[in-house]
Amino acid sequence: MGLGTLSERRGWVWFLLVPSLLLIAAVVLYPTLWGMSLSFREMRLNRPDLGTGFVGLKHYMALWNDPVFWLSLRNTLVWVVGATIGEFLLGLATALLLNRGLPGFRAASVLILLPWFLPNVVAGHIWALMLDPRLGVINDILVRIGVLDSYFAWFADPDTALGAAMVVEIWHGFPFFALLLLAGLKAVPNELYESAEIDGAGPFARFRHVILPQLQMIIVASVVLRVISLVNAPDIILILTGGGPGRASQVLSLYAFLKVSKEFNFGYGSALAMVLFVGLMGFSYLYVRLSNVLRQ
Amino acid sequence: MMGAKRRRLIGNILAYAAMFLIVALSVLPVVWTFLISIKPDEEVITATLTYLPKRPVWDNYVSIWTRSGFPQLILNSAVTTAVTVAICTTTGTLAAYAVARTRFAGRQKVLLLYLAVRMFPAVMIVIPLFIVLRNVGLLDSRLGLALAYTSFLLPVFIWMMKGFFDAIPPELEEAARIDGASRLTAMLRVILPLVLGGLVATSVFVAIGAWNEYLFALMLTSSSGSRTWPVGLQLMVGEFQLPWGALAAGGMISIAPVVILFAIVQRALVRGLTAGAVKG
Repeated sequence: MGLGTLSERRGWVWFLLVPSLLLIAAVVLYPTLWGMSLSFREMRLNRPDLGTGFVGLKHYMALWNDPVFWLSLRNTLVWVVGATIGEFLLGLATALLLNRGLPGFRAASVLILLPWFLPNVVAGHIWALMLDPRLGVINDILVRIGVLDSYFAWFADPDTALGAAMVVEIWHGFPFFALLLLAGLKAVPNELYESAEIDGAGPFARFRHVILPQLQMIIVASVVLRVISLVNAPDIILILTGGGPGRASQVLSLYAFLKVSKEFNFGYGSALAMVLFVGLMGFSYLYVRLSNVLRQ
Repeated sequence: MMGAKRRRLIGNILAYAAMFLIVALSVLPVVWTFLISIKPDEEVITATLTYLPKRPVWDNYVSIWTRSGFPQLILNSAVTTAVTVAICTTTGTLAAYAVARTRFAGRQKVLLLYLAVRMFPAVMIVIPLFIVLRNVGLLDSRLGLALAYTSFLLPVFIWMMKGFFDAIPPELEEAARIDGASRLTAMLRVILPLVLGGLVATSVFVAIGAWNEYLFALMLTSSSGSRTWPVGLQLMVGEFQLPWGALAAGGMISIAPVVILFAIVQRALVRGLTAGAVKG
């Protein structure tokens, strides 16, 4: 029987779906279940003598009493809120500008995507070079225009390390918002702008009452997606500061990752990841609910 | 009172100025890194910063390329990326076709699954994936890493491709079927050629994602036979105190394929990335 004949049978659509479903089951669902179970078990690859038995809530109790956990949680909140707001505002400003559609802006809309497509490792090092305490060009410019007296070690000072990493992340992530918000703006019918203008609405009133309501769905969706990836991806911080100096820029995802990759403590690392997972699910649910309520 | 024409002109000038600033912010850091990559060492490490290289050289590119297995790192990344793209295009195109162009019981549930999987935390997956891959003997292999990449790239691929399939009029299959084509022929010969541009753009997006990825590669590879370039470059910085010029050159070499591929397919790629978002 040929494949063509096979495609005439009922349920052939499942032949199309099964490969991807199997793959997702194998690389997403099965590992996630494993991770959940690991968080209730002892598993240290460097301590096989401890076995891999169930230990109940041991890791979660330890986590509750772990000051590093609370510090990382606080840093995660600062990191995610700061970076999301920064990326959103810069992205929105970019999208509103691009939406004016002046000559040359199409090329600009392609150029601004460059940071987003750069690998984390390269984005991180570009900024590490520019902010270097001995030879960084940004330090040089800041000294020349009189903002700084001397070159500053942005990533080595506990007060500025997380903030400096946030600047890099905002640079890296703002095109995501610009791209999606621009698409949303283009979908706003022109008559809406025109009728608002005829009604005598100024630019701010137009933005508040015409544009913002139209963008709401996209804003909700893009913020959820961005928060999820910011909570989850410690790449930029790992590359720039490694969570330091001390633990000044340690975030939860990095803490979980280091617990596993440096200390081989899979049980504890999984418990940390579970907290992230449950927290994100709760956030996404509340955020979507809340924005639905506000809309009505 | 200012005339409307004059106000518009001032508005446009301000818009150009602001746009120029944002484009400069996006592009200048990369330009600066390129400038560092073509400066000889003595121009990088100086008492007073020089902005433009006085004597541009390609030494840094030669030095990073001939250093401790950089070509091997690039090769590993290329293989891993190719395998990831191969897995995503075969399984993902079939799945996207099914959810976009056929109606079946359970379709909503399947769609929801593909969407929910996009929201799974990477850290949540990579920790147990280490154990799972170790158990099946795929830890520290390019195939294992590529499979790990499908965990977040396959759902994205399916959603983007669904957008391209959705854009094709629904009558086309029916017309082909009336002409006596089987469902398989209708899919392969009639519909697939129409989404080829979208397929290339989506594949490029997935390829860039796999090529750039750092965290999974750091966790799941350890030997020089499978380690990818982001992990290798980061290692060189940490362990061998890689000089700036060489680091910048390594970065430039690694982003060259990304920039070139993106430039080729950017129009279709932007369409694919935003189509799903606008529909909500």
